[in-house]
Amino acid sequence: MKRDISRRDLIKLGAASAAVMATGKVGGSSALAGTVDLAAGGKDFSPQTGAERKMIPSACWSCVTRDSMIGFVEDGRLVKLEGNPNSIRGRGKICSKGASGINQLYDPDRILYPMKRVGKRGEGKWKRISWDEALTDLAARLKKLRDEGHPEKFMFHYGRMKASSSKIIKSVFLANYGTKTIGNHTSICEGAKWTAQELTWGKHYDNWDFDNTKFVLNFGSGVLEAHTNHIPTCQRLGDAMVDRGVKMYTFDVRLSNTAAKSTEWLPVKPGTDGAIALAMCNVIMQAGLYDKEFFKFIRATKDPNASTAAKVAALKSHLAQYTPEWAEKVSTVPAAKIKSLALEFAKTKPACVISYRGAVAHYHGADTERAVQMLAAITGNIDNPGGRCRAVGAKWKYPKGPKKKPKAKALKIAQGFPGTIAYPTHGANHQVLKMIKDGRAGRPEVYMWYCYTPVYANGECQENIDILKDESLIPFTVCVNAYYDESAALADMILPNPSYLEWWDYEDMVSPTQVPEYYIRQPLVKPLGESRDFKDVVCDLANRMGFPLGFNSAEEFVKMSCEKTPAVKAAGGFEYMKKHGVYHDPKAKPKYYGYKKAVKPDALKKDGVIFDKATGVYWNWHKSKAKSEAEAKEKGYTKTKNAYKGYIGQEIGGKVYAGFKPDKVNKSGYFEVYSELLEMKKFPALPSYVPIPEHKKMSANDLILTTYKVPVHIHSRSANCKWLTEIYHDNPAMINTRTAKRLGIKDGDKIKVKSEAGEITTTANVTEAVVPGVVAISHHVGHWEYGRYASGKKSPLAAGDDSDFKLKWWTKKGVHPNWIIPNKPDPISGQQRWMDTVVKVRKA
Amino acid sequence: MSENVALSRRKMIKGAGALALGAAAGLAPISKATAARGKAPRWAFIVDLRRCTGCRTCTVACKAEMNTPLGAFRAAVYDQVVGTFPKTEKHFLPRLCNHCEGNKEDGIPPCIKDCPEYPKDRRQFITPEGKKIRYRGGATYKRPDGMVLYENELCTGCGKCIKACPYGARSWDKLLISGKDSTKNGIAKCTFCQHRVDNGVVPSCVNMCPQKARIFGDLNDPNSQVSKLVKEFGLLENRDKNTLLPKENTVPMLFYIDPRGALMKMANARKKFEKEEAWVDQIT
Amino acid sequence: MGNTEKAQRMAVARQRSNIYGLLASVYRQEVTADLLHQVKDPQFLGVLSDLGLQLASDFFQKPEEELLSDLAVEYARLFLGPGKHVSPHESVQHQKGDGQGGLLWGESTAEVKRFIESTGLSYNSEYTGLPDHISVELEFMQQLTLREEQAWREEDEDGALDCLRTERKFIEEHLIRWVPFFCDKVTREAELPFYREMAALTKNFIEFEREEVEGYAGDLK
Ligand code: SF4
Ligand code: SF4
Ligand code: SF4
Repeated sequence: MKRDISRRDLIKLGAASAAVMATGKVGGSSALAGTVDLAAGGKDFSPQTGAERKMIPSACWSCVTRDSMIGFVEDGRLVKLEGNPNSIRGRGKICSKGASGINQLYDPDRILYPMKRVGKRGEGKWKRISWDEALTDLAARLKKLRDEGHPEKFMFHYGRMKASSSKIIKSVFLANYGTKTIGNHTSICEGAKWTAQELTWGKHYDNWDFDNTKFVLNFGSGVLEAHTNHIPTCQRLGDAMVDRGVKMYTFDVRLSNTAAKSTEWLPVKPGTDGAIALAMCNVIMQAGLYDKEFFKFIRATKDPNASTAAKVAALKSHLAQYTPEWAEKVSTVPAAKIKSLALEFAKTKPACVISYRGAVAHYHGADTERAVQMLAAITGNIDNPGGRCRAVGAKWKYPKGPKKKPKAKALKIAQGFPGTIAYPTHGANHQVLKMIKDGRAGRPEVYMWYCYTPVYANGECQENIDILKDESLIPFTVCVNAYYDESAALADMILPNPSYLEWWDYEDMVSPTQVPEYYIRQPLVKPLGESRDFKDVVCDLANRMGFPLGFNSAEEFVKMSCEKTPAVKAAGGFEYMKKHGVYHDPKAKPKYYGYKKAVKPDALKKDGVIFDKATGVYWNWHKSKAKSEAEAKEKGYTKTKNAYKGYIGQEIGGKVYAGFKPDKVNKSGYFEVYSELLEMKKFPALPSYVPIPEHKKMSANDLILTTYKVPVHIHSRSANCKWLTEIYHDNPAMINTRTAKRLGIKDGDKIKVKSEAGEITTTANVTEAVVPGVVAISHHVGHWEYGRYASGKKSPLAAGDDSDFKLKWWTKKGVHPNWIIPNKPDPISGQQRWMDTVVKVRKA
Repeated sequence: MSENVALSRRKMIKGAGALALGAAAGLAPISKATAARGKAPRWAFIVDLRRCTGCRTCTVACKAEMNTPLGAFRAAVYDQVVGTFPKTEKHFLPRLCNHCEGNKEDGIPPCIKDCPEYPKDRRQFITPEGKKIRYRGGATYKRPDGMVLYENELCTGCGKCIKACPYGARSWDKLLISGKDSTKNGIAKCTFCQHRVDNGVVPSCVNMCPQKARIFGDLNDPNSQVSKLVKEFGLLENRDKNTLLPKENTVPMLFYIDPRGALMKMANARKKFEKEEAWVDQIT
Repeated sequence: MGNTEKAQRMAVARQRSNIYGLLASVYRQEVTADLLHQVKDPQFLGVLSDLGLQLASDFFQKPEEELLSDLAVEYARLFLGPGKHVSPHESVQHQKGDGQGGLLWGESTAEVKRFIESTGLSYNSEYTGLPDHISVELEFMQQLTLREEQAWREEDEDGALDCLRTERKFIEEHLIRWVPFFCDKVTREAELPFYREMAALTKNFIEFEREEVEGYAGDLK
């Protein structure tokens, strides 16, 4: 413009503007309503007056722990998050990630409008579209697949989707749509642990009863810094150790904060926790310190009716090969230490053995977890106060949607390649993209992901990018996210989800006290921009496709569920939950020893209930896939599909007990140390040590790559939080001083780390806090998208936009290890083998 | 200027409301014993290193409470690995302003002593039962209850207090303009969450710490948890071992319960507790 | 105040309102087909070019559909993201030195909302944006100036001056504190002349406005 506006220009421009505006429909609808009435107010504009502050109980969602919390809202702006003191789980606490939720909500890089790509996939050119446009397009695509009889060509892949979110989206919407091509992310988390627990005691989840324990043995869990039930468990463990002097011994390849706070850190070679656990079992059995009473409920032999003596003998003889001396050779943990810890563990009652990814994210990780379960079982530390308990969470009742559902179909791409995994009960979803590329099991037409980042969260990032980018492999990609991350960049359409601080849920996460807690998540502020809770969106989509779900929003669903769930309803229903956020029955007794309950004789007389002699299980064949009683009897409990769904009880010594109820697999009601199911698939029936094949072939200078979490980040979705990234933004590779010396590497050197899957360049952190022969690199950082704080891309456009951003004093952004970690499954469970990768490390 | 002036930009206490929900966050109402004597409380802060797991909830809680800009930390945690493999140890040390008593002679901490805008005005501290105690105010000053506070409106942004604190507990707030000189920044430091404490709730970091490793309370109340811990661990007698930089003779009111000798081990392993540019809470 | 002056002020208020209205619709959403038609009107273009604003020739040659789509992509790139963009929200752009800059729904968002609501206006329930979006602030001024015009017409001099006072306060406390910087960024980053020129116009207009209301300072005591 040449010059400033003058009065004369003003008149002309004003008149011309009036002409432009005259048609009345040029400018969209106005934001403001009503008329200016200065007399009514307008005398005082001071922000100091009348600031309205509200406290709203809700729940965190940063990590899967989902702690109850309270949001403080001033004038519609969330200013702070704290724990909800009324929660029996969190007892008023949240963690650093939870407290940084505000950064998630007000991330300046949030996506606030539905977007559609223009140009090539991944090119980064976008156009805003209206929700109506987006859903019209999407509903048309989905409806077409459904009408053509191929609903399974719509693949829905989620990262986190729990409680009511899971029910609305999976159990109601996707089920009524008709697709079972549904992916999750459990195999990149702790799938091996879940499968192992299903194979032994039935349910996947365990709770560690720190309130009552006297001794803790830890195989590879960062329980004090990053656990699936973090805040509820970490504070109780802290109390146990400081107030009651409980000892904790931690086996880990790295001096984690948990290891540092333990009575002793026991450095261990990656992937050998199983050897130690087996040797401990051996010591305990030989010393006769096993719990005879609990042995009654253990299955340790092929014969389910074997006597305790026979079972003990079988275990003794199986374990004899696993001497502490042998375990020392395998694991580097001194035999004497293994012995003394085994004895202390067996003698201190109750004691709790805990385990996580450090132990299970390996080849045969599920077997390691079975060995750990065996350790708990032979000492009677199962489902008892102070031991390892079957988890207890809230049981909500919810509206199930239309009565008549189509028969759902699935592309078999979420369970890994056929024949490679015995029991992928939680999927092998790190292999989904590989399977899509392979194509033999079919390919989705529409691939939608939700609270998930397939590119970043799995191994082999480059391959993930290449596959996702390829329009010939996946014709249409939809990303549901609040943030523009590495995967969103490869979407054809982005549906802006709000942050969890803006949506509804009922919640049910495990309670550390064995008393269920009911709680909800409610919006602390209105969704920003046009972001819309995806749960509301599926209601809309269902309506558009002509199968209304019976509720129109997540809020309505949560409200209906509050009224349907007796305990919650009695407490005051939806209004009570909105006000208090949490509810538990103050008179409820903690649940222990569920397996010891006798089954009522009536239950055995019901129609369809039959007795399986081979296992001693009473089960109702109607609930299985068997077509007739004869078929059920002929195939037997173990071999009839979905027989576990009809499980009633376990006969032991003439009595029928509730036993360890199976889930997902046809296990008996015993605590199965001996697994017929594994034997059927040609795996050792008793927990055994199977060395990692790649580790057997290592040459002298090879190292093992292991990954880990730090206390201030969640796996892949927190680097956009400036308060967290300020504390942790770089992840130099930890290498033990001795190893570094051998390789000629000094602290701070640039190094190259190379695996069969690729190479990264990073920095060396030479330290005494990791075992020799290992290189440990955390995930969380090394983003190349995810906004300014995560990827460090200071774009010309962003400059000056954010006053805090100008003060960003760090420039490093870390290097993601997943580029070089192959996506390989544990053959038993499908677990991604995060910690097995053999690498060569050299100075760059 | 007669009230216990709130300094926070956000005058509203963001945590006090938690009481309404039946909170655990409450500070015991200033104790009857103290009230009866008409004394001001004597605030003390204890960090129990047996409990601290280095989780940084305190750091983030403080950032959120105070909206501290990037690059500045009123509360921070230091990590240090010590020893040789396999006998390696890792220690965590949460840091905040010590709210020093000042040496025996004048009872004024060095940061206040060097402030050209102190002493300025005269103020009154009103004890819980209404007794008035007079004290001197300024850009930075100590209240009779021991809180070392600052007031941006009176601050010229000269930065002398930042230099004077031997611990580096004060830093620039690069987004705050000094009240008296618009060409300078204001300063930031821990205020013991005075805006909360004056309303009967504990500091935000104390409330948030998942491990109850941070304990705040009144030493003039023999029944307070701080009094009990001070007694149990002999914290007052062993000030030399349980506070930082005893040689500076600033007489900190921040104590560490440290049975594993972390303070000593960290100091030996190169961790300085002395002044640095600004505290940075960083995990390496 | 003489009657001629009052009449003149009434006319000025009207024109100012018109311009605010136009600018509000420029930022409110992607250019609509209707708006594009109207902008292409020779009379309007004449005024623009008198002001030294040039829309490039391809603006007129491109088929309308393509142009609309280009403008939509540009709009998204400039104001929406994903990723890098110039946030059209006061709370993100303002620089007050209080540590509150760069936030979506920051403290100034609440201030704007309170300010607007204290004049008796409210936000439409269908409006999904944030309260301090540039289009809302401009629309607010459109409404205020319209009310001012009405007051002059009704010979309610006090009411009119009340409006002016409110306008001045809003311009000084809000618009002038961020809109010019925002416009500079848009001018720098825009690829199509349309947004570049509109941003320049907006900036000049707001600066004009500040002087305009300053000019009445005497009356507003
Ligand atoms: S542990 Fe932390 S991130 Fe996880 S739910 Fe609790 S507060 Fe949120
Ligand atoms: S919050 Fe508590 S446990 Fe966590 S680092 Fe701070 S003081 Fe330590
Ligand atoms: S720690 Fe530093 S800033 Fe705090 S009172 Fe002591 S000398 Fe002053």
